[in-house]
Amino acid sequence: MPENSRENESLLLVDDNPTNLQVLYQTLETIGCKLLVAKNGETALSIAQKASPDLILLDIMMPGIDGFEVCRRLKADPATANIPVIFLSALTDTKDKVQGLQLGAVDYVSKPFQPDEVIARVDTHLTIHRLKREVEEKKDALEDELEVVSVVQRRLLPKGLPEIAGLKLAVHYETSLYAGGDYYDLVQMADDQWGFLVADAEGHSAPAAVMMAMTCALFRSYPQPPTEPGELLYFLNEHLCKVADPSFVTALYVVYDASRRTLKIARAGHPPPMIYQSAEKKAIEYACSGVFPLGIDPYEQVPVTEAGLHAGDRILMYTDGITERFNTNGKTYGEERLLRQLEAGGDLQPQELLTEIMKDVNNFANGRPADDDQALLLGIVQ
Amino acid sequence: MEISQKVENGIVFLAFNGRLDGSSATEAEQAVKSILEGENNRLLFDFAKLEYLSSAGLRVVLGAAKEIKRRDGKFVLCALNAYVKEVFEVSGFGAIIPITDSVEAGIKEMS
Repeated sequence: MPENSRENESLLLVDDNPTNLQVLYQTLETIGCKLLVAKNGETALSIAQKASPDLILLDIMMPGIDGFEVCRRLKADPATANIPVIFLSALTDTKDKVQGLQLGAVDYVSKPFQPDEVIARVDTHLTIHRLKREVEEKKDALEDELEVVSVVQRRLLPKGLPEIAGLKLAVHYETSLYAGGDYYDLVQMADDQWGFLVADAEGHSAPAAVMMAMTCALFRSYPQPPTEPGELLYFLNEHLCKVADPSFVTALYVVYDASRRTLKIARAGHPPPMIYQSAEKKAIEYACSGVFPLGIDPYEQVPVTEAGLHAGDRILMYTDGITERFNTNGKTYGEERLLRQLEAGGDLQPQELLTEIMKDVNNFANGRPADDDQALLLGIVQ
Repeated sequence: MEISQKVENGIVFLAFNGRLDGSSATEAEQAVKSILEGENNRLLFDFAKLEYLSSAGLRVVLGAAKEIKRRDGKFVLCALNAYVKEVFEVSGFGAIIPITDSVEAGIKEMS
């Protein structure tokens, strides 16, 4: 370590004995950083707060507050808690060393000390402290960038939901680590037709956000109104295959004909929609054959499933962050619970029902944070 | 997550024990990568003791399948529990990756 790199660092030496302090000072002068001294615990705490040294060498036996107490108070104050402390003491009992380390000290040097040993230990801990600080700064910078990505990404999502005659919509969208891989979109087409897309780029954070943004760009640049779900997924796949390797995107695309109340469904690796049939008072996973996720290999053909809805029916499109949500016992929320929630909607408006569902999901998780993004798009036929 | 490996009669066996999810996917990817450093082009994943597989786990399987395909080799997944099997069915991966009920059937599939 070149000496000049220590210029901006400072060391606080604490000892009540002037001779000891003098020897320590001379020993550490060679390290090249700024040296601060304190002759008792009170002064040490005051200097530590004002000067935020990079390391403190602390004697234990001192009149007034002793070194153990100084360390305890340093660790209790958020402003000084991260300053590493090395105890320097004539107490050589293992018990004392253990007590010092348990208080949060990084090291313990017995007196009388060997100058070379003290220099080496101080140097090591200064380096560790500096690296730790640098890592934390880089981590903060990355988190800031990720938040920017997240803000940009949220702008890609539809602003509000459209008014559709005969179908009330609601949506829930949350990411697990700032930016996410979940995506939903809606498009209005001629003859009362609407396209609903829910997609999930594998993984989360920045890489998934890029794939999500790609999927969004492709969906919106589809050259004609996407009235044919199979053709749309074929198109998205064709382009994502060029960039996704080794990642992939699952997608569910539904075209709803609002005047005929019919659905055309295509699915690529994504969970099928759940449909609540009001006549039977039962919610089911609507069986529809599909293809593997987008971005892996070209498709030969994408199958399309048709369905009809009636007044009071509900359709739920979701990402597996909901059904794969873990609780503290390592169990997943699962499809069954989601189906029961969809059935139990009563007279709730779509947004109220989604709120109930998310309440149930979060209750189930029992405080365990989500490790994947969660998106839900719900429609209730009027 | 534990991964054990062996090579027999030119087939590379990787046995997974535990959960293949976001937290173990990187380790599994490394294991697959290192075992594929040679000329091996016949790979069998033994999932008998695999409890859970997430989408990050699917990526690991997909990465291996693609690499083997590039080598014009053979890749098979064996002995999936009901949950893991469902993940492959719902995700459509079952259509592009051969799956057999047992390791023995997997070995037959290879030859």
